Amino acid sequence: MPELKTSCTLAGTIDQEPEANDVVRNVASEVLETMFFTEAEPAPCEHAWLASGACARARFTGSHMGEMLLAVSGEAMVPIAASFLGLEAIELTGAQQGQVLQELTNILCGAMLSRIWPQSKLAIAPPELTGWRDWQDVQVLHRCFVIPEGKLAISIRLIAQSTSPASAAG
Amino acid sequence: MAYSVLIVDDSPVMRSFIRRILSLSGFEVGECVEAGNGEEALAKLDAHHVDIILTDINMPGMNGEELMRRLCADGVLKNIPAMVISTDATNERIVRMMELGAQGYMSKPFTPESLREELERILGDRHART
Repeated sequence: MPELKTSCTLAGTIDQEPEANDVVRNVASEVLETMFFTEAEPAPCEHAWLASGACARARFTGSHMGEMLLAVSGEAMVPIAASFLGLEAIELTGAQQGQVLQELTNILCGAMLSRIWPQSKLAIAPPELTGWRDWQDVQVLHRCFVIPEGKLAISIRLIAQSTSPASAAG
Repeated sequence: MAYSVLIVDDSPVMRSFIRRILSLSGFEVGECVEAGNGEEALAKLDAHHVDIILTDINMPGMNGEELMRRLCADGVLKNIPAMVISTDATNERIVRMMELGAQGYMSKPFTPESLREELERILGDRHART
């Protein structure tokens, strides 16, 4: 059986951090299990669903500058939000789903960066709801996951300190 | 004994989650007061007695660092133990918040059990001193 390709572009500065790949995988599993009461397993990259998924972006500045994208497949968003809040799916508002996605992005970004660079000094801006982007540059750490409710995708990239995340977004 | 808790976080869903986790952990919560930032927290503390404050750091308006400074500068409020709950687990941030007077620091993700253990440690220490 061929080995699953669970990550796409893995090159550049962030990928050169020795533990970065393990951190992304382990933190995603830990966060989904402890705070969202579900399980995330690395999965082959299959990106057709990303165009219709829910997505949020967190930008970070400080000793490292960059941004993280988190996408959740449409069918998974309601059960994840319901599980986080302890509500029935029918009780959830659209606003709550968006807020939970932003919170999940914030938690993942903070936990991953803190573990990759524990000595860093970083500020993470409040995540914003946005659309997914397939960054084509080389400095992207990317991983796809499958959860019982659907799919997740995470990309992190660093941006040169002389370039702001806003102007580099694309 | 049920403890009254002030939860300070700009995310309403995070405040709901913390309330839920407190309940799941078996920690006995009496009154649970919420605030969206440091200013709201100080206003709530004018009107409510709480046994412990759980605060985020990054919030619009008065953030968690400034809230800690205000609490420590107040002759009455400095006696209320405060614990930070944050996504930021960098060493520099943890040290700074503890230096500002936080008695505990819980980085996300956390389990109901770990939250309860930390709360009991803080409140146990407090009772041991009184």
